[in-house]
Amino acid sequence: MKAVVLAAGEGARMGPFTASEPKVMIPVGNKPILEHVVEALVENGIHDLVFVVGYRRERIQSHFEDGRKFNAHIEYTVQSKQLGTMHAVWEARELVRGPFLVANGSSLVDAQAVADLLGSGTAPALLIAESEAPEKYGVVSVSGHYVERITEKPRQPEGNLVNTGVYAFDPSVIPIMESLLGEGHYDLPSLLSALAAKTRVRAVRTKGTWMDALYPWDLLKLNAHVLNGIGDLQSGTIEKDVTLRGKVAIGEGSRIRSGTYVLGPAVIGRGCEIGPNVVVYPSTSIGDNVKLQAFTVLENSVVMDDVLVGPHSAISNSVIASGVRVASNLMASADKANAQVEGEWHVVDPLGALVGEDTEIRDGVVIEPGSVVGARCHIGPLSRVRGNVPNGTNVM
Amino acid sequence: MCGIIGYVGYRQALPILIDSLKRLEYRGYDSAGVAVVEDGVKIAKDKGYIANLEATLPKFTGVVGLGHTRWATHGPPSKENSHPFYDCKEKIALAHNGIIENYADLRDELKGRGHTFRSQTDTETIVHLVEELYDGNLEDAVRKALGRCTGTFAVTVVHADEPDKLVAARNFSPLVVGLGSDENYVASDIPALLKYTDRVLYIMDRELVVLRPRSVQILDFEGRPVTREPQRISWSLEDAERGGFEHFMLKEIHEQPQAIHNTLLGRMTEVDANGFFQNGFTGVKLLACGTSHHASLMGKYILEEIAKVPTTVELASEYRYAPIPTERPLVLLVSQSGETADTLGAAREAKRRGCKTLGITNVVGSSLTRETDRTMYTRAGLEIGVAATKTFTAQVVALFLVAIRMGLERGTLDPEDANRLRDELRALPRHVQSVLNRAEDIEALGRTLAGARDMFFLGRGIEYPAAMEGALKMKEISYIHAEAYAAGELKHGPLALLTPETPTVAVVPRDRNYEKMMSNIGEVNARGSPVLAIGTEGDKDLARFVDHVVYVPKVRDILYPISVSVVLQLFAYFAARKRGCTIDKPRNLAKTVTVE
Repeated sequence: MKAVVLAAGEGARMGPFTASEPKVMIPVGNKPILEHVVEALVENGIHDLVFVVGYRRERIQSHFEDGRKFNAHIEYTVQSKQLGTMHAVWEARELVRGPFLVANGSSLVDAQAVADLLGSGTAPALLIAESEAPEKYGVVSVSGHYVERITEKPRQPEGNLVNTGVYAFDPSVIPIMESLLGEGHYDLPSLLSALAAKTRVRAVRTKGTWMDALYPWDLLKLNAHVLNGIGDLQSGTIEKDVTLRGKVAIGEGSRIRSGTYVLGPAVIGRGCEIGPNVVVYPSTSIGDNVKLQAFTVLENSVVMDDVLVGPHSAISNSVIASGVRVASNLMASADKANAQVEGEWHVVDPLGALVGEDTEIRDGVVIEPGSVVGARCHIGPLSRVRGNVPNGTNVM
Repeated sequence: MCGIIGYVGYRQALPILIDSLKRLEYRGYDSAGVAVVEDGVKIAKDKGYIANLEATLPKFTGVVGLGHTRWATHGPPSKENSHPFYDCKEKIALAHNGIIENYADLRDELKGRGHTFRSQTDTETIVHLVEELYDGNLEDAVRKALGRCTGTFAVTVVHADEPDKLVAARNFSPLVVGLGSDENYVASDIPALLKYTDRVLYIMDRELVVLRPRSVQILDFEGRPVTREPQRISWSLEDAERGGFEHFMLKEIHEQPQAIHNTLLGRMTEVDANGFFQNGFTGVKLLACGTSHHASLMGKYILEEIAKVPTTVELASEYRYAPIPTERPLVLLVSQSGETADTLGAAREAKRRGCKTLGITNVVGSSLTRETDRTMYTRAGLEIGVAATKTFTAQVVALFLVAIRMGLERGTLDPEDANRLRDELRALPRHVQSVLNRAEDIEALGRTLAGARDMFFLGRGIEYPAAMEGALKMKEISYIHAEAYAAGELKHGPLALLTPETPTVAVVPRDRNYEKMMSNIGEVNARGSPVLAIGTEGDKDLARFVDHVVYVPKVRDILYPISVSVVLQLFAYFAARKRGCTIDKPRNLAKTVTVE
């Protein structure tokens, strides 16, 4: 069986984290979300994958290549205009022959979820899951084991079962897609509704994992979930008097200097320089080629690749994108916060700072909880940052 | 990077094994070997090319066998370290991909019980373990043996006492079974099988498979049978390997952030060559050919500025036959493949002249590593496109690492500066990425200027070799005649050639030569030649004097050539694509020049 994986979107709601990277490539537990999806598919024996790519597709292609490293064979098809999810599957139509799965590259699923859908019998079928925020998704009304109707983003949801975006189809849907596209429908839920009107579409509930990252702070949840499943393979050089408790993975070529204290689950990438005397609390991911200098404390955060954090910094419940450089004494502590993304306000508890790629932060900066600092900003010494700072801003 | 293949059936195994190994050949390897079951188990193996092995092979006629190509990542390639391996009694043969982490302990234990080891490899421990645990059933013995190993592996094993059987197992390293009629295959990669069958079974982690001519049985590591449906492969080789990119060259350009990561990996806190640079020479000489020669020319500026050691650069092909001066510089030999005939010749000549030598190469165990006192690997990964891209930037990064180490060991670079420089090197993958993010703009420029018959590339200081490399890329893949000049030399000739039909590419970062470059651009403008400038982000003045600008991030002067080179690679690539050239295989050129 093949799977069509949707990976063309930009993910505008992810704020500065999609400035140069598609949403599916944002790392949690030091692997792109898409890689976790690929693993779930491969574990279920689905090795032939079709990636529908678009926005910044080179980032995806140079990471996954032909799939060999992931025990998969990956073909790519380009969706030049991101019209919708059904249009994306349509773009892949010539690469699928028999029954196929559709998965979304930007929401985390585990092998169990895929297995539940596969084990349920014939297509068409839809994986559904409980959600705390059904109003953000397509709410699925079910009768028995079958889909009765899908209501997209209802103001007053009838239930909390939502469409996870993981489907099983067979090629008979392709002509139906064609006529729907002709009528100006571009999304998979329209296909589901059309199918449900004609035939029975199974709704499969899963006990496995389905977690979606709608907003940047959701990355912390996904990260913590993924870190629960890590092994504790440690490479690199670990100096004397380093304490590692719980599951801590350390990549090749990294050096952990004396006095550093790491409480797992935590993952440290390749070629890092940590310490001396750095403290890492759970659940923290530190990417490749990261340097954390003395007396810095990190807690429940995602730090991506090529980040440099100078001494005496405290970072909690924060997401720090690739290439961020902090001179020293950054205070990014967490509290109940009002955060704003794409004009909407959200209350998040607790939340620290969200900092976009390649931003330079000079000495002694305080970032207030819930602030979103854009990509390629320059934050001058002793600044206090509150609220949203657009990409490329110079804060003096 | 190793490759594995196995066959059980009714045909002679040997030709099938050799043919399949050849299909993995382009990915690079340094040794190869086969084992065939006939009158016991016969092994033939050697370092070097498969063709070499093939020429010396005895005529094995057995119908069960396995083969292996090795690409050493640790330890030298040699006949002894090649796969497959025998047990003590030479009844079992085994090949392996991956790393056995606890092999040292197992090895001591096995030696203690009287096993004789013939190699230094981790792999050989597995075959002795299997020997010890063998009790008439090969799959049981393999299962128990692997139960005691930690690490990553894919293994294939045959035993003389069970001549119609091949056992394979996997943990993290890829393994796939190919199904035929009355014959079956196993391989690390589907391309090795595609000629013979398109029906495959994927083997998963911690699974073992028993192949016989008419049956394939999969077991988990507890010995329980696993059922799995075969899958049909519907894709072709070439397309698959490019992973969605139009050409290998574009793929490799985009791999540069990762390649630089790998070059830096583990070397920011320590460099392998401890004490090597301390004394014994007063100057450095860099020798190389082609693109590596351009990296070396940059190396001159890098070594002189960071390590403050007087440095000269020569073409390897010239140095070999030049008269011998009395000085004895440290000689650095730079070659991507480590097999370039002229560079190897120059290495021998340098030794003959009594110089200390250091090789910088991308290929582990290549000939250069045997011709030099020390080797530094660039670790850029395999490069398939003939035009060097990622291996070039990795060479330049490696030269920075050499310069820092040399400066520290000779006391010419203070540790604080070294630290600052290392932090700046850590940022290089990001700078390259920021250029890649502008690929669309560069594509537009490449298309606009693709109609030119001639082009000029100008730079000063370390940007002069960057201009030379840019011109070389343009010539190699787009067949546009391109020449590079040190901008100060313009008025000594090339100005006469400038017309509105000859675009000029000027490398003008905000460095110490900025003002001088600007006046050179004025000279070009006066001839009506369109100017494409590569400048520093935020330099708004530049745009007023030139026709097109591509910006690169602000860095210290000598770090500019890395991101500048990536711009020029993309520029050449898109110009060539617009012209419809065969980018990955330019006419008359070969990836590795093993002739003089």
